[in-house]
Amino acid sequence: MIEIDRLRKVFRSSLELPEDYDVDGLEYRGIEKWDSLAHMSLVAAIEDEFDVMIDTDDVIDMSSFGKAREILGKHGVEFA
Amino acid sequence: MISLVGPGARLVDAATGDVLAGEELADRVAATAEQAATWPGVLFAHFPATIDAVVGYLGALQAGRPICLLDPDLHTDLRDRLVARFEPGAITGGKGDLPPGYHDEGGVWLRDEPSAVTPHPDLALLLTTSGSTGDPKLVRLTPTAVESNARAIAAALGIDGGEVAITSLPLFYSYGMSVLNSHLISGATVVVSPRTFLEREFWNDVNTYGVTSLAAVPYQYEMLKRLRFDPSRYPTLRTLTQAGGRLKAELIVDFHGRMSAVDGRMFVMYGQTEAGPRMTTLPSAYLPAKVGSVGPALPGTELFIRTENGAETTEPDVEGEVIFRGPNVMMGYATAAADFATGDELGGRLSTEDLGKLDADGHLWITGRLKRMGKIFGIRVNLDDVERLLTDTPPVAAVPGDDRLTVFVESGEEQWPAKIKARLAEALGIHSSGFDVRSITALPLLANGKVDYRKLAEEGA
Repeated sequence: MIEIDRLRKVFRSSLELPEDYDVDGLEYRGIEKWDSLAHMSLVAAIEDEFDVMIDTDDVIDMSSFGKAREILGKHGVEFA
Repeated sequence: MISLVGPGARLVDAATGDVLAGEELADRVAATAEQAATWPGVLFAHFPATIDAVVGYLGALQAGRPICLLDPDLHTDLRDRLVARFEPGAITGGKGDLPPGYHDEGGVWLRDEPSAVTPHPDLALLLTTSGSTGDPKLVRLTPTAVESNARAIAAALGIDGGEVAITSLPLFYSYGMSVLNSHLISGATVVVSPRTFLEREFWNDVNTYGVTSLAAVPYQYEMLKRLRFDPSRYPTLRTLTQAGGRLKAELIVDFHGRMSAVDGRMFVMYGQTEAGPRMTTLPSAYLPAKVGSVGPALPGTELFIRTENGAETTEPDVEGEVIFRGPNVMMGYATAAADFATGDELGGRLSTEDLGKLDADGHLWITGRLKRMGKIFGIRVNLDDVERLLTDTPPVAAVPGDDRLTVFVESGEEQWPAKIKARLAEALGIHSSGFDVRSITALPLLANGKVDYRKLAEEGA
């Protein structure tokens, strides 16, 4: 599976969204499901899926799908 | 009539930096009080973390208009059911379609045909009990309950005019409301912010406005741990308070350590909305020695333990139901509009339905629940109700965990845990990480054939 689909999948499962939900434009608190609780489980799920450790500033900065992609990019995950 | 605004009290709008204090604050509260006085019956106020909402709340209390605090994002169908049951005379802060039988007057929704019920003169404040299954009951509080609890909390935490709190909890939630009340009545400052711990602006505001104390419930402590909360980054922030359910011992010790390292304090507290809401506070100096205790009763209140034979005792090490006496105890519940006319039914005595014991210092240790209740992210859930949601699955048993539920399902089929998790999250409107669903070969049974919940609780821990 290409990396972007892995990330989409993590978003859908952590935020409890349907399998065909378009997550690419999502922002923190932009939808009801992405609240602070869901955010914590999202961060944990991303760490597990990509085997990375996300630091404090990045936990706070991960305020959109795009940001998550950027932060993973810093950890060497390539979304070519 | 209550005035919660002590001399020197200030409200700060985190978004703009605007400060509302002194005469200006008094004038704005008086203006909303005047408006609230014209409405009939009970006011239902959606209560977001905004200055306008806080001023509206203070105005209603000052006018003696009974006010019920609601989640600003309350679902329309749940809201309409509440409105149908309780017949409020006015609704503020509502979004979307008006409930049937209401009309809009300058943004306030008024009831077309006033309710036949006249609220009891002692009724000041109504709070929802956080039951997530079914329709919530309302807790009826008097002006004395609200005011005495605000003052007792201020005394127990040593809140003075120099303190600065920030809205880290919803204001319609009893703990969030009590932070607001106890600071305003002490002439302190409250920074009103709609942000959460997970937003950089929140932490910027903590430093910009010199916030001195932070209130949080157990799941927020887990968040703070994940965020590697370091009080040395916030030079004015020297007090943490915790309520809203049992916090894991290791987290109490951890956060007490973090605060001690900067000469700060960590307070573990216990309460129920039914007590307006605070009942006890453990002074920071007793940590870490007394980790697990919630401390003594607030000033002016008392704790007893009801033993099996019905006697109420303060003797140490006797386990039984925790009984609380104080001026902050509710008048009773309301399940329909007619109950608003009812006076005090409890006489200042609350059966908490929690099990506990006192120690030689009179400090309370909670040991369990009389009824099968659990808490998920601070939301109270009846475990039997949870099981009733799962009647078409293989046999299940739900037991409380640390701010989560553990549900055992008697099946080896792989599909069930995920299915049950999703179903509970959907039905209760709680994120699925609040449920730990596990397969079990056979539910353990007692001799009488009933599920052995004690054994399951041990396994679930």
